[in-house]
Amino acid sequence: MIHLNNVSYTYEKGGGVSNINMSIDDDEYAFLIGPTGSGKTTLLRLIYMDLLPQVGNVVIDEYDSTNIKQKRIALLRRKVGMIFQDYHLLDDRNLFNNIALPLHVIGYDKEEIVDLVAEALEEVGLDGKEDHFPNELSGGEQQRACVARAMIKGPDIILADEPTGNLDPVTSFELIKLLEEVNKEGTAILMASHNYNLIKGRGHRIIEIQDGTVRRS
Amino acid sequence: MDKFIFLLSEGIKNLWRNKLTSFSAIFSIFLTLVIAGSLVIISQNTNKVIEYLRDKYKIEVFFKDNVPIQKVEEVVASFNQIKGVRSTTLITKNDAEKIFKSQFGEDIMNLVGYNPLPVSCVVNIVKDDINKININPIINKLKSYVEVDEVNYQGRIIFQIESYYQKFIRIMSLILVTVIFITIFTISNTVRLTIYSREKLIESLQLIGATRAFIKAPFIIEGILHGFIGTILASALLVGGLIFGNDIIISLFSVKIEYDIKLLILLLGGISFFVSIIGGSRAVSKFLK
Repeated sequence: MIHLNNVSYTYEKGGGVSNINMSIDDDEYAFLIGPTGSGKTTLLRLIYMDLLPQVGNVVIDEYDSTNIKQKRIALLRRKVGMIFQDYHLLDDRNLFNNIALPLHVIGYDKEEIVDLVAEALEEVGLDGKEDHFPNELSGGEQQRACVARAMIKGPDIILADEPTGNLDPVTSFELIKLLEEVNKEGTAILMASHNYNLIKGRGHRIIEIQDGTVRRS
Repeated sequence: MDKFIFLLSEGIKNLWRNKLTSFSAIFSIFLTLVIAGSLVIISQNTNKVIEYLRDKYKIEVFFKDNVPIQKVEEVVASFNQIKGVRSTTLITKNDAEKIFKSQFGEDIMNLVGYNPLPVSCVVNIVKDDINKININPIINKLKSYVEVDEVNYQGRIIFQIESYYQKFIRIMSLILVTVIFITIFTISNTVRLTIYSREKLIESLQLIGATRAFIKAPFIIEGILHGFIGTILASALLVGGLIFGNDIIISLFSVKIEYDIKLLILLLGGISFFVSIIGGSRAVSKFLK
């Protein structure tokens, strides 16, 4: 489903990734681990084409990073859900409107949106909190809201960039379990983390990245 | 359809979500439109003044004594074909005698025993031309007739009035264009300020697959609403001011400021619509990757 072929990207001030070759299969749950600054975020940005490779190419289904147009990137991102360490929730909108936003972008009608948001909130255990604003929720709840927002459009893959970075160990563990539930429904997950203890022994593939290169895949 | 309603409602909600920046944008549009509207009213009334002055331009053509009246009538008819001539009035010897009597209260026949006044003609020139009226070609043409003895006109005054009018038109146009550019710049900067506070929204929308058009639309709708509110406020102030001001001016000078409400509102609405779309779109584009 996702193929990175000989991908390199170097920032102007240094750092980045080099010569990455890896694939993520449909329905796969994989962890991307490595220390801070090892290139995990760069790799994720290359997958959702926020960055385009300077060498090599990224292929996600019919989308190839070689000469891809801005509009095609927007379409690609409708198939990719994203979760960030700092949530990226909009403070001036309640939970319902935050989670519904991807559906508005795609063009769902109002009734469908109401049903799908209710379903997603129930799935992540936030039912009844649709009128709450992000600052009225705990960190764990905000991150679960991000999972709901990422999964609501039925993406092929969810990319999670250090989603447990601001969470305590118990809440982090619950989040990983929640993502496992989402994965069971057929969505591939690629989760970046620098916390090996959190992810070890869960039976998922671990991709190790260090100094911008893949050490273990 | 749902997408359109969503974008429309986002644009409307953004007005309230960003009260301070909305106020700044509306206020700058309001100020610009008041200035632009005032310029329009001034130029409308200047047209009236210039038409009034041009109506007073007079070219008097005197014919030689030996030219028969039928020939004079033919020549006067041909004056109407000259470019820049609006109308002509033939003044026969009898007419001239009556004018003399009405002006001086004396019968010239009693004074000198015969009528020495020549046949003449008053040539009126066009008055509603926005361009500078150059009277010299008309004078030269009139003088070229062998039947014409003398041509009198207020050449210097006409030249000065026309020159000042042209300068005025140029300055007004320059001010209007400058005001419009300043507004586009101000609006795009104001919108940019609102965008700084909504950078997170733009980034989130990009990450979830929104197209550039989808991201831009609420900002443009918001800009149009700013323009709409600004237009209503500016129109209300200008029209109110004109109604109130006219009462005072009429009582003091017996002159009325002329204006066309529909044209004024249409013009202000058009300017605000144009600057809001350009300003808003320009500002959002700078933030989109």
